[in-house]
Amino acid sequence: MAKAGLRAVVFAAVGALALAACGSGSGTSPSSSAGGGATTATSGPQKGGTLYILTNEKQFLHLDPQRNYTGTDLAFANGFLNRTLTAYKFAPGDGGAQLVPDLATDTGTATDGGKTWSFTLRDGVTFQDGSPITCADVKYGISRTFATTVITDGPTYAIQDLAIPTDAKGNSVYLGPYDTSSKNDVAAFDKAVTCSADNKTITMHLNQPVGDWNYAMTLLEFSPVPKAKDTGEKYDDNPVSSGPYQIENYTKGTSLTLVRNPKWSQASDPYRHAYPDKVVVQFGLDPSAIDQRLMADSGPDQTAVTLGGLQPENLATVFNDPKYKDRRFNGYDPYVRYLAINTAKVPNLKQRLAMMAAMDRAAYRTIYGGNFAGDLADGVIKPNLAIDYKPTNLWTGLLGQNIPDNGDPTFAKQLIAQSGAKMPTITYDYPNTPTQSKVASAVVASLGKAGITVKPNPIEPGQYYGVILDPKKADELMYAGWGPDWLNASTVIPPLFQPNGGFDVSQYNNAAFNAQINKAKATLDRTAQGAEWAALNVEAMKDGLVIPTLFGKIQYLVGSKIGGGYIWAPYGCMPFGDLWIKS
Amino acid sequence: MTVSAQVTPGSVPPAAFEEQEAIAGRSLGQLAWMRLRRDKGAMTAMITLIVIIALAVFAPLITRMLHIDPLSFDDKAVSQDGGLPIGPFGGMSLAHPLGVEPGTGRDNLARLLYGARVSLFISFSATIITCTIGVLVGIVAGYRRGWVDGALGRFMDIVLAFPLLLVALSMAPVLTQRLQSMGLSGNGGRVLYLILVISIFGWPYLARIVRGQVLSIREREFVESAVSMGAGTSRILFREILPNLWAPILVYATIVMPSYIALEASLSFLGVGVLPPTPTWGAMLADSVRYFVVDPAFLFFPGALLFIVVFAFNSLGDAVRDALDPRTGRV
Amino acid sequence: MAAYIARRLVAMVGMLIALSIITFLLFAALPTDPALLTCGKNCTPQVVAANRVRLGLDKPLYQQYVTFAKGIFVGRDYGSGTATFHCPAPCLGYSYLKGEDVTSLIWNALPVTASLAAGAFIVWIVSGVLLGIFAALRRGTWQERSVLGFALVGYSFPSFFIGLLALFFVVIRWQLLPYPNYVPPTQGLLQWFQTLILPWITLALLYAAYYIRLTRNQMLETLGEDYIRTARAKGLPERTVILRHGLRAGLTPIVTSAGLDLAGLLGGAVVTESIFRLPGLGSLAIDAVVNADLPVITGTVLVAATFIIVANLIVDILYAAIDPRVRLT
Repeated sequence: MAKAGLRAVVFAAVGALALAACGSGSGTSPSSSAGGGATTATSGPQKGGTLYILTNEKQFLHLDPQRNYTGTDLAFANGFLNRTLTAYKFAPGDGGAQLVPDLATDTGTATDGGKTWSFTLRDGVTFQDGSPITCADVKYGISRTFATTVITDGPTYAIQDLAIPTDAKGNSVYLGPYDTSSKNDVAAFDKAVTCSADNKTITMHLNQPVGDWNYAMTLLEFSPVPKAKDTGEKYDDNPVSSGPYQIENYTKGTSLTLVRNPKWSQASDPYRHAYPDKVVVQFGLDPSAIDQRLMADSGPDQTAVTLGGLQPENLATVFNDPKYKDRRFNGYDPYVRYLAINTAKVPNLKQRLAMMAAMDRAAYRTIYGGNFAGDLADGVIKPNLAIDYKPTNLWTGLLGQNIPDNGDPTFAKQLIAQSGAKMPTITYDYPNTPTQSKVASAVVASLGKAGITVKPNPIEPGQYYGVILDPKKADELMYAGWGPDWLNASTVIPPLFQPNGGFDVSQYNNAAFNAQINKAKATLDRTAQGAEWAALNVEAMKDGLVIPTLFGKIQYLVGSKIGGGYIWAPYGCMPFGDLWIKS
Repeated sequence: MTVSAQVTPGSVPPAAFEEQEAIAGRSLGQLAWMRLRRDKGAMTAMITLIVIIALAVFAPLITRMLHIDPLSFDDKAVSQDGGLPIGPFGGMSLAHPLGVEPGTGRDNLARLLYGARVSLFISFSATIITCTIGVLVGIVAGYRRGWVDGALGRFMDIVLAFPLLLVALSMAPVLTQRLQSMGLSGNGGRVLYLILVISIFGWPYLARIVRGQVLSIREREFVESAVSMGAGTSRILFREILPNLWAPILVYATIVMPSYIALEASLSFLGVGVLPPTPTWGAMLADSVRYFVVDPAFLFFPGALLFIVVFAFNSLGDAVRDALDPRTGRV
Repeated sequence: MAAYIARRLVAMVGMLIALSIITFLLFAALPTDPALLTCGKNCTPQVVAANRVRLGLDKPLYQQYVTFAKGIFVGRDYGSGTATFHCPAPCLGYSYLKGEDVTSLIWNALPVTASLAAGAFIVWIVSGVLLGIFAALRRGTWQERSVLGFALVGYSFPSFFIGLLALFFVVIRWQLLPYPNYVPPTQGLLQWFQTLILPWITLALLYAAYYIRLTRNQMLETLGEDYIRTARAKGLPERTVILRHGLRAGLTPIVTSAGLDLAGLLGGAVVTESIFRLPGLGSLAIDAVVNADLPVITGTVLVAATFIIVANLIVDILYAAIDPRVRLT
């Protein structure tokens, strides 16, 4: 029941990735994705061949569907292994925003003004062992999300939005399928999610109307898991496939091999084409070496793509040389990058604004590759969220005067003077990588010009989010990035600026702001809702919650025998599940 | 030699000392200095090192004269299409004699000079600490013998069995926090941590050498006569025995110093280093790895400088050892 | 001899226990919170607290050590409720970050590191000892000077610098070899060889330099001794003198060093593995360090240290076997 007018790009995944290797880039080249690729081959897509996917990661962070919440990993798993009730169309440009049915027969039916949603499963859908996928399997998958100590890292929309009561501390009374204690209120969950008598229709009852809940169904959080095969933490190693491929071999640090799932039938899955016979993911490669291999384009690398994008240092080479013209891609990723200001540690508004005014955003952008890196951001809502985006004029008068891209130390000093308090020393938390160290240098230098002392605090990338999400450990200023989970700023403003929103690193808790958020969430007229989100975006900027830096872009280079490449907007990466091999 | 050996294998070759007899004091020193002065290679190495140390010491002056600065960003010097330096050889120009850092346009020469200060300071301090600990433990073990010697020996075995590089790396974030909470904010704590961590790599080797020396020296007549004259233990240790140890200590110091410079670089390379924006050679090298295809000059300059310094120290160390002990000498 | 070995074995077990306690305490006492790694991105303090209890981190340290030690001998259980799983002995812990038990992580990485270490070892021992003998025999000539000069240059290069240069020129510029991409020799001997040849040379270059000098000095020392002169005076062929008498006697320190260096390498060649992206113990450890994945760090440190201690024992026994002058104390 997507509202009319949903046209722009839908995003999934959270901004948590993009730490080390995730690209940046710039765009001398033709405008965004434009659908490049297959100009050399005259014939259309064909079956067969082996698709290689190269990555510097040592393994997939998670293959457990309920724990998978990283843009590229979602695109990968959704394309090959995990079917969801709905999915995003495989199409370049804005076409990728279109919601299509996958496991379900249609994109869902809303009743009760959007408070109740039903989806009916297709006939003949099975897991890799041949057993049919039923409503109970989808329901079991959803239930796993509630076991927050076991099923970690995943999205929490089921916990937030399903009509399940919470206890005094605000935690759900349902604790997931693994907890056998008496305080686990299983009945509450069984009431919120129900199955029809024929076990084919799933109905979800929400605690408030959500007009585009069917978009949430694209998240693997809502994909089926057979209870008999669930192994808790260990399910990550060998998830049961419902898609056209199954895992033949998964050696972390080395490779993952997918072969065709004999039980999958094209008839039950009009969404996927499953072109290649085999998919091999190679882990633990040097990022520069990956780029060099793709540039050299020899042997098996001709049918290779990368999981993440090109490295900044190689962008000039790839985009200046016409020989790569047919196999390079440049487009927007779903992410907004920013520096989060901890309002609990810097309660003085003028001081927060001073930091915003002082920051050299141009230097930040250059470090990430200049034009390839993306556009300077003016808020946390990206223009791709067309209904919700409106320029905030943050840098053109919102704070009282124009602020150049290099920052305005004089204005910052004035703001500090007006603050009536001594500027505290600012500790800047960031994941310890070479690129991030350079950003830290830029923060130290530009805030320093305004007389603000900044102490850099590098944190091991693996622990980074654990630290900054802990109010006791987070410092004044933090590197961050966020991408909406679907085409609605309801997956941006609330998670970022509401207590327990999920990613409220600004530690912001403003009663009036919260009330406006709740009002916007409940607004079912999508245009009116968009205006409310846009207003809240301006509000957040005026209140100095973040220093927005980049509306990010991403660049890809693929092997010469890869067909069907484009930047798939929902996930900001290649449409892995729809690529094919040219013979 | 554990993992550290990979960084600088043979940096601490105990074998070279084991047969060595106690070297008698001054006259040998003068002899050695004469031999050293005749060694052209050693003299070249020494002059090179003096020049580089002078460059590091006077870095603020030199950078001011050349109008360069290690911290200033220069967005005119790097391309907005990818962030690579504009111009040949990593953006070499009059304004930036050795080019600039990709992405930021910070001046390479200024960063190398300031980086030298940090790198040399850390390795020099660590050398001194290593030698101090090594000598103290060695003297105590050799002089007291018995269970003290045994206990210290086992302790050294355990220290040497640890893959120190891993331990050093994994303890870094926490211990630097601890040092910071003790009042050493920012880079103070990090530099101190690096010095301490590097120091623990080398002292057991020196302690073993010194112990062996002390075992033989204490049997000598002048020590026995001091004992019989009723001299206190500390007097015997520091007045009688220590002066006879300076030759092996000096040789050892010239060997570990370059290995520590390389070790500091490796630690920074692996992500444990000083905080940005302070430059060190190791951090510069770590960053340059990504650019080594598209901007080799960025890797070349810090790499070459590191090599020259380590090579010069190694040559000098060799020469010093030869001068002190001509038997194993080069010809 | 048997009594000596027995005594050393007992001492070794003692040291291993001490080592495991020290390693455990070293890392367990760190205020880094392993529970943080169990909950990743949307990590609320409540989840961390709950996971701390699940991991047993709320227990006193000695209890945690007992659980850890028990895991090594009989295995242990992780998780709670119906999501419990078993980590079989020898269980060195479980990495929530990798979703795998530490023992299998190490077990998978070991062959890579062993391939690297063994190949490099062969290259450096052969080249080091041969060049060392050569230098000793050509004492005072330009040949000796160039060999020693090469050795000096060789170990003045930081290993990551040599590795990077090798990658840059051999693989990228001249394209003489494909990109390093490790496969077990059973799956592709050629690719295994092509991947490892540069890391072998990189590592060997550093070690060879040391062994050249060590061998040369040993040779010069022994060749100057009386019994060698006697052998020569008896009219034995020069080859016999050098190999049977000179090298044999000078061998002991070389064996000692070689044994310990090899053991050290088996614990992971951190820098080389990280440059060539070899999924060995060194990479595993660095990865763990970068992410503060304590169970993996503890496990790899323990295994690496065990290699050294065992190697120490073997070297000492060999030493005694080669050189009858060694007193067995």
